[in-house]
Amino acid sequence: MELNPMQVALNTVRTLRLELMQLIIEIGEGVKDDGSQTESKDNRYMYSMNEMVGKLGLHMRDLEQVVGSLSSPPGAMLLYNTSFLTQESTSDRQALYTPLVSSHKWLDKVHKFSSNAVQILSQNSLKKSYYNSSSNKKKRQQSSLHNISPQAVDVLLTNIDRMFPEMSITITRPCASNVVLLVGLSRVLQAIISFKGVMIEWVIVKGFNEPINPNSLQQELWQESRYYVFRKITDHANAAMLHFSSPTLPDLSVRSFMTWLNSYLILFNSVCKSCGNRLLNAYPPTWRDLRSLDTYHYECKP
Amino acid sequence: MGVTIIQQFPMKENRTGAQIIEFLTKRVNALGAKQCGTFLVDCETYASIPQLGAQRTLHVFHNSEQPASVFAILDNGTGKTVPVVADALFDLLLLKMSSVYTSKKSKVEIRGPRFELNDFVIKIGAININHNVKGIIVEAEYRPCVVFGLCWDMLREFLQGFLGSCVSNIPPHYFQNRMNDIFQPLDTIQQYLDHITIYRKATGILQQYNTNTT
Ligand SMILES: [Zn+2]
Repeated sequence: MELNPMQVALNTVRTLRLELMQLIIEIGEGVKDDGSQTESKDNRYMYSMNEMVGKLGLHMRDLEQVVGSLSSPPGAMLLYNTSFLTQESTSDRQALYTPLVSSHKWLDKVHKFSSNAVQILSQNSLKKSYYNSSSNKKKRQQSSLHNISPQAVDVLLTNIDRMFPEMSITITRPCASNVVLLVGLSRVLQAIISFKGVMIEWVIVKGFNEPINPNSLQQELWQESRYYVFRKITDHANAAMLHFSSPTLPDLSVRSFMTWLNSYLILFNSVCKSCGNRLLNAYPPTWRDLRSLDTYHYECKP
Repeated sequence: MGVTIIQQFPMKENRTGAQIIEFLTKRVNALGAKQCGTFLVDCETYASIPQLGAQRTLHVFHNSEQPASVFAILDNGTGKTVPVVADALFDLLLLKMSSVYTSKKSKVEIRGPRFELNDFVIKIGAININHNVKGIIVEAEYRPCVVFGLCWDMLREFLQGFLGSCVSNIPPHYFQNRMNDIFQPLDTIQQYLDHITIYRKATGILQQYNTNTT
């Protein structure tokens, strides 16, 4: 059976250690008297020592040979989030790395299967909901969704920040490498967006004059707005986030969501496209058409 | 706090202030608003003694929406005003200054029911000058918004919804240079002062007082 050089090298090291241990045991026991008279026991002892040392030398040369054929590992491996496992102090969780790696392998497989499935299903013309028009464009595959470098996420978010002059974006990482984003939209609203990698997980929208502690955004995520209008927009935002979510084009989904959020710049001074009024049941038009970003009251949406 | 706008509602000849408030209460109830207590804004006006030179007028306000604050607006007679927001101790300070600033004995009170409708707060009050009802004032606040210019059109539509055509399509004069500023509690008080000044002029109290002192 053909073994890879690493395996051979490890086996050789094992053999070497075994033989060295035998030699040391032999030396420790010293010259033995086994009763036979044919040869001098000293000679016999010397002979077996010689043999053992010779074997050791032989295997040492083997090891040098096989190590020479090994290629050096390609730089440091990036572990991202998994590197935080080393900080785990309870002993029963320290073995988590191996199952984690295998679950990542499975996730990658699922991802590959599902993107194939999307490709096949998209040929079917039966469409029940909106479709991102760009899904027909050439697909740029993201190798893995769950292990994206923080730098890549930063680049994506700062690009978005540059796209919208009225929007200010603050990137925080209160917990490991996952981003919690604080978005300020002119003097209209603030939003806290929690990410997992490049996927948006949760959104909360609050008023411009509601106090948000930027140092504990994680706690702020659970505190809903004190205003009816922003609680309603929070609901719409989570629905829009799910609508734009796309496992095959995650950065596009983030960009679409932010474009949608930017349309709330005119929350307080827009007219409902359907009924022509500004107010309905004491609410401004809180709903946005997901493609055209036209403004509607929730009750008036097409 | 959000953006607040104050609007006069015309008095009808054959109706009392209480009847108009009841009439408007029915209208806002029909919109779905719930009554949440009452409100009170009071204003007392002081004048500096003649020995100090040009007469200065000091208006001191309390607003039940900001119960811990006292608002003071000093008018030095040349059209320039100095606003001050202080805590309740300011009232005691005024007692100490009674030898310099004398009360004009014309206390103005605006009181009435306070309603909430989602993010809107509506207050319907009768303006009492020396315990006589002089008119009806309606205050509407939209709490989620902080810039007048952003929500003026919406507030106008809201007010026109239950007050009708007495609401002008032109923003109040007070906001003309403040369209894009962040709204402060003092902006509400300044609007009250503008309206109180109009009512006082109409009733001649101010002129009467001025002729007595000068
Ligand atoms: Zn509508």
